[in-house]
Amino acid sequence: MILPLGPIHPGLKEPLRLKLKTQGEKVISAEIDYGYVHRGIERIMEGKTWQKAIYLAERVCGICSYIHTQTFAETFEKISGEQAPLRAQYLRVLTNELDRIQSHLLANSTFFKAIEHETLFMYMLALREPVMDAIELLTGNRVNMGWNVVGGVRMDAKDIHLQQIMEIMIKLEAGYDRYVEMYEQGPLVGLRSKKVGRMSKEDAIKGRAVGPIGRGSGLKHDLREDHHTYRDHLDFKVIWRKEGDNFARNMNRFDEIPQSISLIKQVIENIPKGDTRNKVEIGKGYGEWRNEAPRGEVTYMIETNGNLINNVSIRTPSIMNIDSCARYMLNDVATVSDAIATYASVDPCIACAERVIVANEKGEEKHYQGIFDIK
Amino acid sequence: MLDALKDIVRKSSIHVCLVNSGGCNGCDIEVVALLSPRYDLEQYGIYVHNNPREADVILVTGAVTEQWKENLRRIYTKAPEPKVVVALGNCPISGDVFNQEGSSVNAPVSDFIPVDAELSGCPPRPSEILEAILAVAPGAIAAKGRQKK
Amino acid sequence: MSSVIWYMYEFARKSWAEKFAGAKSEYEIMEKPDRFRDFPEVFKEYCIGCGACTAACPAPGAIRLIRDEDTTDHDGLTYPEISVGACIRCGFCAEVCPTDPKTLTCGENHLIREEFTILPVDKMYVIDDYLCIRCKKCMKSCQVDAIIEEDNKITVDQSKCVSCGDCTDACPVKGALKVVHIANIDEQKQIIRLIVDTLEKTIENRQEEIKKLPHDKTFKMEYPLATLKEKALDIINKEDMVQDLMEKMTDRLKMRILTWDKDKCNNCRLCVNECPSGAISYNEEDGVKRDPDKCLRCSTCYQTCPFGVAGYYVAKFRMDQNIDEEDVILITLKPSQLPVVE
Repeated sequence: MILPLGPIHPGLKEPLRLKLKTQGEKVISAEIDYGYVHRGIERIMEGKTWQKAIYLAERVCGICSYIHTQTFAETFEKISGEQAPLRAQYLRVLTNELDRIQSHLLANSTFFKAIEHETLFMYMLALREPVMDAIELLTGNRVNMGWNVVGGVRMDAKDIHLQQIMEIMIKLEAGYDRYVEMYEQGPLVGLRSKKVGRMSKEDAIKGRAVGPIGRGSGLKHDLREDHHTYRDHLDFKVIWRKEGDNFARNMNRFDEIPQSISLIKQVIENIPKGDTRNKVEIGKGYGEWRNEAPRGEVTYMIETNGNLINNVSIRTPSIMNIDSCARYMLNDVATVSDAIATYASVDPCIACAERVIVANEKGEEKHYQGIFDIK
Repeated sequence: MLDALKDIVRKSSIHVCLVNSGGCNGCDIEVVALLSPRYDLEQYGIYVHNNPREADVILVTGAVTEQWKENLRRIYTKAPEPKVVVALGNCPISGDVFNQEGSSVNAPVSDFIPVDAELSGCPPRPSEILEAILAVAPGAIAAKGRQKK
Repeated sequence: MSSVIWYMYEFARKSWAEKFAGAKSEYEIMEKPDRFRDFPEVFKEYCIGCGACTAACPAPGAIRLIRDEDTTDHDGLTYPEISVGACIRCGFCAEVCPTDPKTLTCGENHLIREEFTILPVDKMYVIDDYLCIRCKKCMKSCQVDAIIEEDNKITVDQSKCVSCGDCTDACPVKGALKVVHIANIDEQKQIIRLIVDTLEKTIENRQEEIKKLPHDKTFKMEYPLATLKEKALDIINKEDMVQDLMEKMTDRLKMRILTWDKDKCNNCRLCVNECPSGAISYNEEDGVKRDPDKCLRCSTCYQTCPFGVAGYYVAKFRMDQNIDEEDVILITLKPSQLPVVE
């Protein structure tokens, strides 16, 4: 039988319809129905100056809002042929990593909520709050920060702020191992996560999985390797795992957090003095830029006439991850509750994913049903 | 006597259903942050789950997109009486930045379902949400419960 | 036993009761950190009413300028008002606010240096050097010193301009200070083309009447505006912008009209060779023929033709209301005063 979940369901945080084909308690396959959060952001952005459009880019997704503004700004910087000052680049890395930490902690907490491990759920949220404080300290807001601009960042960070962030990081790192151990060696957590919702490397390539989901399945792919600030100034290595199950995906996120902490420490220790913003004359033409968001790669393709945006297209990671989840992970899952846990382990962000409306020849609009629908 | 008892019970046990009717997800995340030990929403007798059928408070966090135009009303009717609708964030109040030419949102939410309280901010801080919920929700639910008679 | 009870009593009285009374969470959750960017604060008395904040605000309807009622003593204040239901707390309004001290403050953003206060506007103010009489009234009226004198020319510094429109009110010469909508130039071109095409067609349809016009009389006609405006609104759906565009357009538009009276033609073919664009052709069956699509309206044929086949008129336009108070475009045709070879 077909078991519909959502759009409003205790197991799901965001509106999305999950149609599970079940046989008894077993889930045979799954289908995903999007379209509940389609706001038409790309269409609104057309004909706007970047000063206004950057706030729209920020509101593509509320969890990884930071990386959207950074990619947007860097696309414009690429079109104009200018870069942000080094101090601004360092500050961008700092905020990006803080954002990644809070996003990963939130994603893992959602997974623990899905497997009803309330203790770890609360611990994860308790760990996340100081990181949110750090973000607020630096940028002035918790979620939609309004911090990036083309050519740099809006506010300079004072030394005392950096010092406070350093303290928060040291505190976070000190108690961190305990929770990882709880997850890694907890027998009940293991039962619910190990060998559940497996996706092989081949399937991950076919499903275009990115970010921690792809890396959990053995795809060694992280765009931070290619980013100029990380490549030239910071010590960074890709973390990846081979198992491809729920455990690996969460563990991958757990492992990336200490790395982010170490990156933040490097930034605070080595940050140069100087300006935080360049005046950029916006060039004409087309440019695209890719960055590693907490959930994978996000791409902005922008065409501008020097003042206004003519055309913009945004590619977000969630859509590939959710699709590969529905197609490859939710095959032969033992129980429905495992299916929800698997879905939560993919760290789905529906607000990101609502990008496309497919219209047929008659002009009737049909909401996007996943990449496999477009032929 | 019975009314007073009902009031006490209604005030101290509030079930919340979170409905994202087309926002950026930021407000939902701030509500999740409210569950964290620092803010600890549950100590005030407020329990957040996403089940409209047993909800006392419906938190709407989003400008209404095409698919929600009819479904929002359906969810509203499914919640039992007495119920309170709280519009959380700017999207349900004014449509925020999305309410511009070319978008597919139909803000505000009050066009579709009756809204009892509004809380602005994009997104509001958890402490602001907490303040507003504690100031409005318990009293409003109790008042609504009495009103029905 | 009694000691146990005493101990419990002491415990309850001292530690438990004290802790319960003085219970406090570790972190004061209601307080906001210093750097938190709250809703913008408005200081009414500094506002110059330039409208920079409303133009810059990325959220629709979040900020608007309001004006207090005038009293007998002094004029009402103009100041921005924030609607908290729409404000996204980005602080961009505080960033662009040109007054000193700032009318709007929001977090620490206003500490940013001045050169970054770029304003995203869809209007550009340009001074036409040909028409400018250099009275410098606009310079005095500008509140942000965006109008400067360079090499004896008055120009607008676009990086400083906040698009308030004060200079257009001050300028005594009509058309010397131009407001250009830069947002959708292609669409504006389409509207202009639409207006020119329709007007030309209307005039050509009444050629027969125009031909009979005496040399020293003018010909007047009306064209109703409503349908034209509807079509223009299909292209750009902004009422005030279309109105503005059409007004300026009809003010400046001057159209040259050529009529062709075939009955007078004697097939002398003088004009065929003179025509610079090859719009006039001759063959045995049809005689001399003019192709209006190719015609440049240069009036060469009018000046060459000895029989007065070609008529040459200048049309001017004005937007006005007719007797029934309908918006119309008034068209005035005047025969050209160019010399004719007799």
